[in-house]
Amino acid sequence: MTCLRTFYFIPFILLSFLSLSVLSTNVLARSFDDIIESKKINIAVYNDYPPYSYMEAGSAKGIDVDIAKEIAAKFNVELVLTWMTPGETTEDDFRNFLWKGHIIHKVKADLMMRAPYDRSFSQKRDDIGLLANELVHMFAPYHQESWQIIHNTEQLPEVETMAMFQYHTIGAEIDSIPHFYLTSAFGGRLREKTTQYASNELAIDAMKKGEVDAVMGLRTQISYLSQFLDNTKFKLASNAFPLIGKQKWDLGIAAKNDYRTLAYEVGDVITDMVQTGKMADIFSQYHATYEVPDYYAVE
Amino acid sequence: MNKQLPLKRIALALLVCAGAVLPAQANVTDNDIQNDQATTDDIVSYGMGLRAQRYSPLSAINKDTIEEIRPVWAFSLGGEKQRGQESQPMVKDGVMYVTGSYSRVWAIDAMTGEELWQYEARLPDGIMPCCDVINRGVALYDNLVIFGTLDAKLVALDKDTGKTVWKKKVEDYKAGYSITAAPIIIDGMVITGNSGGEFGVVGKVYAFDAKTGKQIWVRPTVEGHMGYMWKDGKKTENGISGGGAGKTWPADLWKTGGAATWLGGTYDADTGLLFFGTGNPSPWNSHLRPGDNYFSSSRLAINPKTGKIVWHFQTTPHDGWDFDGVNELISFDYEEAGKTVKAAATADRNGFFYVLNREDGDFIRGFPFVDKLTWAKGLDENGRPLYIDETRPGNPSLSDDGKKGAQVVARPAFLGGKNWMPMAYSPDTGLFYVPSNEWEMDIWNETTSYKKGAAYLGAGFTIKSVNEDFIGVLRAIDPKTGKEVWRYNNYAPLWGGVMTTGGGLVWTGNPEGYLMAFDDKTGEMVYKFQTGSGIVGSPVTWEMEGEQYVSVLSGWGGAVPLWGGEVAKRVKHLNQGGTVWTFKLPKRYEQVAKN
Repeated sequence: MTCLRTFYFIPFILLSFLSLSVLSTNVLARSFDDIIESKKINIAVYNDYPPYSYMEAGSAKGIDVDIAKEIAAKFNVELVLTWMTPGETTEDDFRNFLWKGHIIHKVKADLMMRAPYDRSFSQKRDDIGLLANELVHMFAPYHQESWQIIHNTEQLPEVETMAMFQYHTIGAEIDSIPHFYLTSAFGGRLREKTTQYASNELAIDAMKKGEVDAVMGLRTQISYLSQFLDNTKFKLASNAFPLIGKQKWDLGIAAKNDYRTLAYEVGDVITDMVQTGKMADIFSQYHATYEVPDYYAVE
Repeated sequence: MNKQLPLKRIALALLVCAGAVLPAQANVTDNDIQNDQATTDDIVSYGMGLRAQRYSPLSAINKDTIEEIRPVWAFSLGGEKQRGQESQPMVKDGVMYVTGSYSRVWAIDAMTGEELWQYEARLPDGIMPCCDVINRGVALYDNLVIFGTLDAKLVALDKDTGKTVWKKKVEDYKAGYSITAAPIIIDGMVITGNSGGEFGVVGKVYAFDAKTGKQIWVRPTVEGHMGYMWKDGKKTENGISGGGAGKTWPADLWKTGGAATWLGGTYDADTGLLFFGTGNPSPWNSHLRPGDNYFSSSRLAINPKTGKIVWHFQTTPHDGWDFDGVNELISFDYEEAGKTVKAAATADRNGFFYVLNREDGDFIRGFPFVDKLTWAKGLDENGRPLYIDETRPGNPSLSDDGKKGAQVVARPAFLGGKNWMPMAYSPDTGLFYVPSNEWEMDIWNETTSYKKGAAYLGAGFTIKSVNEDFIGVLRAIDPKTGKEVWRYNNYAPLWGGVMTTGGGLVWTGNPEGYLMAFDDKTGEMVYKFQTGSGIVGSPVTWEMEGEQYVSVLSGWGGAVPLWGGEVAKRVKHLNQGGTVWTFKLPKRYEQVAKN
């Protein structure tokens, strides 16, 4: 029975050499100097997440992808994208794609898009009083996100207040704040009219088919998806969301905490994009509502 | 490593092979599997018998001889993929089959510890397993070695070559499904459950033809979902679980109800029933889903011939603490008032030990097996918990921007009074040997949280130890009285399986790396051996050429090191590993002659 063992011996050694040399250029999050020298930057974006990052007809598209392209172009390096399958929270994504590496392929990216820019989050303490996200630096806010309802005006002409959804059906993405909000706020009075879907896209499809009268979700996604609908029938509402703690929040970029020079350089690129209107242009290409983060409003 | 040229080695190896006499290797039959507990020369089911009592009548290694046992071989799983090794080895005709982290399988010569073949599943980049990349073991049937992968497939390998015979996608890993449990085989069917996080998965139990991988039936474990049966390749409806939707769930939350069957099941030939446990309901926040939320956090009896639920027993109705009900239900008989009671027992995450009538699921008795419970006052006459409402985690307070919601302390912590690690039952002593943990948790609504760039409302929690000197407790529990007969306190949490033998021994391992054996009556530790990394696997024993062997996997990991805080402090210095250790008594005089 030893014969099997011996046959495996040679290819195994060869294989392990091969895989080492292939991966070695990509596996580490790196300093700005290393990035420039290697002529490559690795930026992590979420997988299958329009309009932020997705594949269409074989090429990478989306707001975050376009921003990543701009960063690579400014540094004059090649862009390598790492597609992230999200974990249960953003902390999981930091671990998997910035500081520890992915559990299967071990790849770490230099930058991660769509990181929260929120002081209470970056300064959050863990259960023994240490900084929970100390291995990661979050910087360069590039847009402000919010919640949005879109409704079928034939079923529901106007969303005056959330109370309408005691009588009208509404869809939301499962395990999202809108889902929690609709099933628990106001003493659970909206619960029976709420339907959950695996994604906002599927919720909008359901609204198109008349299964629900409205959908509540991320403003950027809902506004992007609204372009594919009949705009005389489906409208973006402008109601308030009483009782929701986080009405608006800023999104930026994250890097491993050691690479501050990289963060400063990227920060300059983003500031320039926001101030010249380039950022707003990218959002408008995707028919997505754009709002400038508070960070830039001060100046 | 010797320095012979590879070519010469191959030539030599071929010569050796040509002349080798292979032992008679019979294929595994249904009969072998049904009789596994009684036959000591093989281990062909997860649980060392389909009832999963983890009891072997072998007695050569006993209280008197155990100090003489010694390792006979150790086998390294190798590679960089050293994560939690939660597997139970299987043995047939002198070959051991084990699984390791990252969906890998090995066949090893059980006499010498030499590798015969290795299989490594090619896992897609996109998988995101919730709790370490573990696997708990294979099923053996006919000439096949069958196991579940982290990307939710069943793979059947040829037992002699390790080559794939069939592969079946059970669910789509992209939707959040995976498989980590060992499948079981009943009447030529391979039966498995599924795992999944908070992504809106629905728990199911699946039966496939073990020889071909063709689907036979599927039974969802959430009320309102249709079950199916396949006849001559045609998929036909086989009744809605629970009879209809919306009886114990509000709105349409049943559509994504959770209740994953991630730990697999047991089987009792007496009643002809499969017993599967189910996980917590989703979403995690119980205030969103008033009602009992069938059949989450339950034990289900399923008839394997029909794929239908025969009875259910819910341990934590309307769960709000993440008390999965997946822990194994072990069938056993006992005498009371001159009658044989056909019972089954389980030690739940929620801290209660339940004894049920396994024919109809009726509650016989239940009692806490942990030192303290804070979430319930006790159980009523039907076994339903009497909740203490103040210790239910609060309704998400949405207006509470950036601040912690109200914090509650719950004990046991969500990792449970007992987690996945299997207990054992000894017909000799009539006692269950339960690997358990004493810990509590603070839990609150976390408003400073994000997911995919969206603000998110998660649950924040801290697992805390309650005793300076121990978290883990190995307990001997009398199922008739609820009495703890003896206990062994362990500094780190216990996370490995237990086995008991006719030699009057109880075996388990700890994260500190020791394989330990205890006197089954007194709890006195009679043996320990340092394996070099933490033990989170399940020990086994079998007989080969008249000698009793014991094996266990060593390799620290699993869910415990993934959670931070105080508990992490007790385990963070532990090193990873991946080794199969095998022990036996020396053949004293032959040993001397060889030397």
